[in-house]
Amino acid sequence: MSKLLSANFDRLKRSKIFWICMAFLFAFGSFTVLTYYMTVRKYGFPIYLDNSLMIYTTFIGVLLAVFCSLFVGTEYSDGTIRNKLIVGHSRISVYLSYLVVCVVAGLLMCLAYLASILAIGIPLLGFFQMDLKWVCILTLTAFSLSIAFSALFTMLALLNQSKALVAVLSILGAFLLLFAGTYIYARLNEPEIFEGYSYTDDTGETITEEAQPNPNYLRGTQRRIYEFLYDFLPGGQATQLSNQSVEHPWRLILYSSVITVSTTGLGILFFRRKDLK
Amino acid sequence: MEYILTTDSLIKRYGNFQALSGLSMHVPKGAIYGFVGRNGSGKTTLIRLICGLQQPTSGRYTLYGIEHNKREIFKSRRRMSGVVETPSIYLDMTATDNLKEQYRVLGMPSFDGIPALLELVGLESAGKKKAKNFSLGMRQRLGIAIALASDPDFLILDEPINGLDPYGIIEMRELILKLNRERQITVLISSHILDELSRLATHYGFIDGGHMIKEISAEELEAACQKCLRVEVSDTKALARVLDSIGLEYNILSDTNADIYGKVSVTQLAMDLVKENCELLSMQEREESLESYYVSLLGGGSHE
Repeated sequence: MSKLLSANFDRLKRSKIFWICMAFLFAFGSFTVLTYYMTVRKYGFPIYLDNSLMIYTTFIGVLLAVFCSLFVGTEYSDGTIRNKLIVGHSRISVYLSYLVVCVVAGLLMCLAYLASILAIGIPLLGFFQMDLKWVCILTLTAFSLSIAFSALFTMLALLNQSKALVAVLSILGAFLLLFAGTYIYARLNEPEIFEGYSYTDDTGETITEEAQPNPNYLRGTQRRIYEFLYDFLPGGQATQLSNQSVEHPWRLILYSSVITVSTTGLGILFFRRKDLK
Repeated sequence: MEYILTTDSLIKRYGNFQALSGLSMHVPKGAIYGFVGRNGSGKTTLIRLICGLQQPTSGRYTLYGIEHNKREIFKSRRRMSGVVETPSIYLDMTATDNLKEQYRVLGMPSFDGIPALLELVGLESAGKKKAKNFSLGMRQRLGIAIALASDPDFLILDEPINGLDPYGIIEMRELILKLNRERQITVLISSHILDELSRLATHYGFIDGGHMIKEISAEELEAACQKCLRVEVSDTKALARVLDSIGLEYNILSDTNADIYGKVSVTQLAMDLVKENCELLSMQEREESLESYYVSLLGGGSHE
């Protein structure tokens, strides 16, 4: 497999889409920090580097959807995957070599963002206010999320030979996961009770509304399912990380690992049986 | 005879469609094996199976004596290469970079052989041009160069001359012959351009409906193809009398033309015709072509 990795990493170095994603995340990191700095300068209230640490997790899924579908899809559209199989590389090696490259590409994209916020953010906003250990744990959680996204989109790209279809499905999937995460977050944050309040109407009469239970508040099993999905789905994890509301980082890492292992297992299973053209 | 590839009762189904129905074939070592069949007859399906791109539904094949379901088949595949359907090349890379990429896939330590490979396929001046700007012929040649990167001794070419201009066809033919004669590479070529194939192949396999109709060597084919002499004379009645007296088979085509079968002494024939006051105007040796053999084979009703 080392031969395939060498070939794929060489392609990665030449990949325009990879460098565009890297440049986007680096530029986005710089833009975020500069925006915070200008806000601090203008309004005077403090914004710390901590706020910018995990914002990129909102984008990493979409960027990896684009990258994996185009990088792996080229192997099908140009037919070059055949060159690897014809000369005797096993399907498992071929699959894993693409997975490794996509995982590394995803992690490098994360590092591009982190490098920009550290390089520009520390001089402008100062160092992190939160515990450094927590910074490391959050970063590890984000990396495991990136790996899970890579595994998911590599599987999609290798099980479908249409590059365009895979690109559309992957990008659509990434957005759906994000929307699902945001929706679950909103549902979980519904107040249990609408507080009572009083107001005076046009006639000068004071009207008092009693506190009422919120019918949309999730309870019991339903709430537990939503909580599980919020932790399990990559979109939910991305939402938690970007708004830094992570409560169980190790659980998120475990769920990302489950997604990585299960998508890779399923991907290899079907890829081995797949009729390639 | 030593065989590089043998298949035995290979069956490949796609849903309800059976692309190969019990195909058996034998590719001898050192041969240029012309794999002949009409569109949709199963040629490419068989090639996909041999190249490991697809798995047979049932049946078996061996590469260098190793059965396809054995783990050692991966080692056997390292000795073969091929261009299946369209050339497999990265369009956004140059010819040289494409070859470097394949060298990495093969784990070759040095890129020293690349200029020689480009020269072999006639792309030495196009090494720095991106493949997306190549003509179809250049892409085919680059595809073959990539296939040759592993220095294989079995090369599979699927319709290698499709879409090539006449000059490209000649170049491709010369390249294949060179590879076979100078490097002793066994070549399996699928094609339905029979005239071109007849200039190359040492062995033929005729496939129809996913079934091998006949395997035959070029020598056997030549023997099977009946030769004749087409003559133009002033009077075919006089010609018939002469041929009857000599005891040769013939077929009168018109008042002036006839086909004569068997070995003919031209001098004796001319002298006998003079005696019959018949003038011999022209004569031409003709033989049944691969095309007519193929047509007669397919039109022959039930096949084995």
